[in-house]
Amino acid sequence: MSASLALDSLTKVFDGAAAPALDGVSLTVDAGECLAILGPSGSGKSSVLRAIAGLDAPTAGRILVDGADVAGVAPERRGMAMVFQRPLLFPHLSVLDNVAFAATVAGQPKREARADARQFLELVQLEGFGERPVTALSGGQEQRVAIARALAARPRVLLLDEPFSALDPELRTDMHALLRQIRQQLNPTIVMVTHDRDEAAVVADRVALLSAGRLLQHDTVERLYTRPVALAVARLMGGRIELPGEVRDGVHRSALGDIAAPDGESWPEGPGMLVVRHEAVHVSTLEAAVPVGMVGVEVVVADRRARGPRAEITLASGEAMLEAEVPASRPLVVGQRATAHIPRSACTVVPLDER
Amino acid sequence: MSVALVAPAVAIAAFVVVGGIGMSLVQSLGLLPLVGVPSLSLDAYLANGDELLTGLGLSLGIATASTVLSCVIGLTAAVVITQGRITGRLVAALSALTIPVPHLIGAAAVGLLISDAGVLPRMLGIDGTDWPDLVGGPWWVAVVLEYTWKESAFVALVVAGVLASRVARYDETAALLGASRARRLRHVVIPLATPAVIVSAIIIFVYTFGSYEVAWLLGRPYPEPLPVLAFRLFDAISLTSRPEAAAVAVITTAVSLVVVALGMALLRRTPLWR
Repeated sequence: MSASLALDSLTKVFDGAAAPALDGVSLTVDAGECLAILGPSGSGKSSVLRAIAGLDAPTAGRILVDGADVAGVAPERRGMAMVFQRPLLFPHLSVLDNVAFAATVAGQPKREARADARQFLELVQLEGFGERPVTALSGGQEQRVAIARALAARPRVLLLDEPFSALDPELRTDMHALLRQIRQQLNPTIVMVTHDRDEAAVVADRVALLSAGRLLQHDTVERLYTRPVALAVARLMGGRIELPGEVRDGVHRSALGDIAAPDGESWPEGPGMLVVRHEAVHVSTLEAAVPVGMVGVEVVVADRRARGPRAEITLASGEAMLEAEVPASRPLVVGQRATAHIPRSACTVVPLDER
Repeated sequence: MSVALVAPAVAIAAFVVVGGIGMSLVQSLGLLPLVGVPSLSLDAYLANGDELLTGLGLSLGIATASTVLSCVIGLTAAVVITQGRITGRLVAALSALTIPVPHLIGAAAVGLLISDAGVLPRMLGIDGTDWPDLVGGPWWVAVVLEYTWKESAFVALVVAGVLASRVARYDETAALLGASRARRLRHVVIPLATPAVIVSAIIIFVYTFGSYEVAWLLGRPYPEPLPVLAFRLFDAISLTSRPEAAAVAVITTAVSLVVVALGMALLRRTPLWR
């Protein structure tokens, strides 16, 4: 049920479009791995999925499933099942017959197909719903049935195209748990498209970050946050601290001061933007001692914005600006002086320009 | 408030539909004679009993054959159109071109093409005496052919619209679940297109059942389908024929209403209707 997948310089140019929808995207997904394709609207995420599924033919490049090129193979023969944002359950079939669809069209006897479908309904915690018409389901239930239907087709790769984005946050959390459970039980190879960073972080082993049809970085979630390879990656991942400066002798010098590369890492010499996650910045009292591995910077609270249980703080150190998050209960007020502690291990330097 | 907004439309529709049908009904029951004293009677219904029954059978036959053929051909054309290849575009263009041609022109064209002295037998070099009686023959072939030509284009465009907008994503989903093109057609496309086909079928049946000019132009003088019979009686010199014409019109309308009711009942039983 799980195959490896590789994209080799996948390019897609739609008729009449000025820029390619996909521009030489190459990546690999191991068997049983869950890859999230993350990116803003129009970044080409769905185009990748449609090309993998065989719904759109790529303009150039190859798609390999278990090492074999699938060019020219019709969607029905590729062994990919896809779950879309809309559940698209067949309205003329019962819930059970929807899940049994793949087996039915493969020519299995109805009884066997339905018995098989029942197992998958059970897997998505909808046992007993089989006889209902699909119109009698809630949004979350519909999407569960869509997932059961896709899994019952025993896909070599399961493709998910923003399957949970139409659900409310609580249901979405349930669906993430369901996906985890499915991965434990069946270990399918999954490629999931999402525009939600948090969802990608919760669900996926690795993330491919797309922007304007180009693959910016294909990495683990953690590295995407802490070791972006470009300024665009840092920004798309929600990074808010950017300190322009220059690296000399492995030390980044900016308006904030000198910060040395983390142990065991080296930064390219020359102009570079130091980026660090605002979540990593600690705000301490002025007198607090700077812990080992941290850089201490004297700052003034320049702005404070309430964010429910947290508060976002802007800190000024001369011309340099830092961002941090603190619990809402912390009595830091604008104008107050403090020390920002920046872990060296959380810092990275990327080229100054966006690319 | 909403009642007031639709009132003008309802008033006009009611004036034509209820007024027209009401007048026919009153006239057919002898309550509105052109001369003489009004008296309630079924004479107008019984006066041409045999012709009426034959005409009813004939009209039902023509309408059923035209409807079934139009739906089968139209659905096939719709599937071809939504495949989106060059043939699809060609079929779509042909269907779109067919729609604005009036039935009368269509009937004249069909007559010129396939009558025993028509273009087709001449092109094929077949003598008129050896050519089958397609126009004015016992099987009303030319009439059914004309209706099928025009109404299948109507079905094709209506169903293609539904397939392209509502069914395309289901078709993709089914393909990704491993269904071949033939299986998709059987298990997804046709079931999902059924409501649109039923609605089209109702419209076509009622139209071909009550349409006059094609049957008059391409049919034989006797027996007459109901609309042809009704018009002949209406146009007759004898003033007593007017109620008889109205009786034929009332029966035509009643049968049409029954067919619409049956069609709507069928539509409500399709799973998609809910």
